[in-house]
Amino acid sequence: MEQVRDTKESRIVLKDLTKTYGGRNTEVPAVDHVSLEVQSGEFVALIGPSGCGKSTILNMIAGLMPRSGGEILIDGNPVVTGRLTPKVGYVFQRDTVYPWRTVTRNIGLGLELNGVAKRERQVEIARFIERAGLKGFEHAFPITLSGGMRQRVSLMRTLIMRPEILLMDEPFGALDTHTKLEMHSLLLEIWNEEQQTVVFVTHDLGEALTLSDKIIVLSARPGRLKQVFNVPFARPRDAVSLRETPEFSELFSQIWHSLGEEFRRTSAEG
Amino acid sequence: MPTSFWINFWRIALLVMLLATWQWGSNVNKWLVSGLDPAWQRALTIQVLEPFFISKPTLIWSRFLQLGCLTNPSGDWLITNGGFVECLTKKPNNLWYATLATLRNTFWGFLVGVGSGVAVGLILGRSAFLAAIFEPFIVAFNSLPRIALVPLIVLIFGLGDASKVMTAWVIVFFVVFFSTFEGARSVDHDHINVARLLGANDWQVTWTVIVPSTLGWVFAVLTPALSFSLIGVIIGEFIGAQVGLGKIIIEAEATLETADMMVALFVLMIVGVVLALLIRRIQRYLLRWQSQFGGGMN
Repeated sequence: MEQVRDTKESRIVLKDLTKTYGGRNTEVPAVDHVSLEVQSGEFVALIGPSGCGKSTILNMIAGLMPRSGGEILIDGNPVVTGRLTPKVGYVFQRDTVYPWRTVTRNIGLGLELNGVAKRERQVEIARFIERAGLKGFEHAFPITLSGGMRQRVSLMRTLIMRPEILLMDEPFGALDTHTKLEMHSLLLEIWNEEQQTVVFVTHDLGEALTLSDKIIVLSARPGRLKQVFNVPFARPRDAVSLRETPEFSELFSQIWHSLGEEFRRTSAEG
Repeated sequence: MPTSFWINFWRIALLVMLLATWQWGSNVNKWLVSGLDPAWQRALTIQVLEPFFISKPTLIWSRFLQLGCLTNPSGDWLITNGGFVECLTKKPNNLWYATLATLRNTFWGFLVGVGSGVAVGLILGRSAFLAAIFEPFIVAFNSLPRIALVPLIVLIFGLGDASKVMTAWVIVFFVVFFSTFEGARSVDHDHINVARLLGANDWQVTWTVIVPSTLGWVFAVLTPALSFSLIGVIIGEFIGAQVGLGKIIIEAEATLETADMMVALFVLMIVGVVLALLIRRIQRYLLRWQSQFGGGMN
């Protein structure tokens, strides 16, 4: 651990992170003593069968959910539940775009809340709308947009705050394959420029391989750290052609095997 | 022929038939049964066509002109000879003042009812503690037919505008309150989290998420709120008033002047239609982000 710290700085540290649900007598463990570190600028994917507590871990890192045990440090400071840090951005799986706000006003919300002047705000919003390919939809209400466009709005709403740490909870889980690939390209492009530290929760192995530097496989409920895989593909990556390389297939089947055991455990229990 | 032509054709045809029956139905009925023996005559006479009960379009029209101070009882136009203003001052419950009073009180009842309903709904909707305290009181008060309160309201607030506004208020308040309460309780939790994560404090969360999200529910009940306000005002005027369309109706009942009653009903109908169209327009604009209101780009 110390050696790693010499070369790169740990931004997120989880120590024996534990979460149990339920009352005193009927405690259901969801996350069981998970310890891991995420380096600065690293793109880490958390993958596991549904119910393995991967979203729970993300919510605890964001400070949205209290933990039952263990510790979370962001840049050396312990995370306090309910006290949110501005350098952390969060993208939900669910469609969380505000239906009563136009695209512009959705993307600009964070700047608005932090008292950025209108003129300045408009310049920034225009840049992010351009980047997300939403030009021409500035004044559209979300109801008129497709699912993919709405998710781009939420992504830009988070990114406009320039978060150094990005927590993403299956952000593209509800999108069709084609739209998903487009979103991967967009995210890779942005990440190449800004090099945020990313923790990306998914159950889609292809997605995890396309995007991340490191894949952490969690066991079936209760979530334990099962195995860590490094993803050595060169960057910048192309979200589409990467999937056709033999290295991709090889690593895919290797992790698939590890993951498959957990999926089977889930279905055997359920 | 396009369908719309035939729709309009039948609408007009129906209206003409209705008016004709209204105007001459009683005469035709009497003429048809005139040859029969008295027992049959009595049995086949349609009482409800009697002008005593339903008046006649021509009579209603002439009473409309008189109540509106447009003509005098002998049918001379008052606009041209300058008697209009004199008539307005002589008849305090003329059609103009009555309509204006009813509209004014409807507007205030609506405004006060919606305002207080939203405020209380938001507060109780966001505070489980306060909601638990007030719940039995609200349930009890709401179970009371509000109309039963009107005599008490008139007793306390008098025959003036205040009692009408109060009557409208007690009806409108609950409609708006329940919808707001439901809306405030069902604010999407992730919508709140998003704002928090973007740096919003409690106050900002309230104004950027909770209020706009709840207002969607409020705007949806604006149409019933407005018609309830009008109902409240009319009932208030029935129980005790000096001016108002409801006052014309209740007075016409006492004096057996059906034509006057019909005039007031006719004006009320127009008022109702105009108010409904107006509120629909406002609603369509306020809820332009929701699917059922078109949701197009603005």
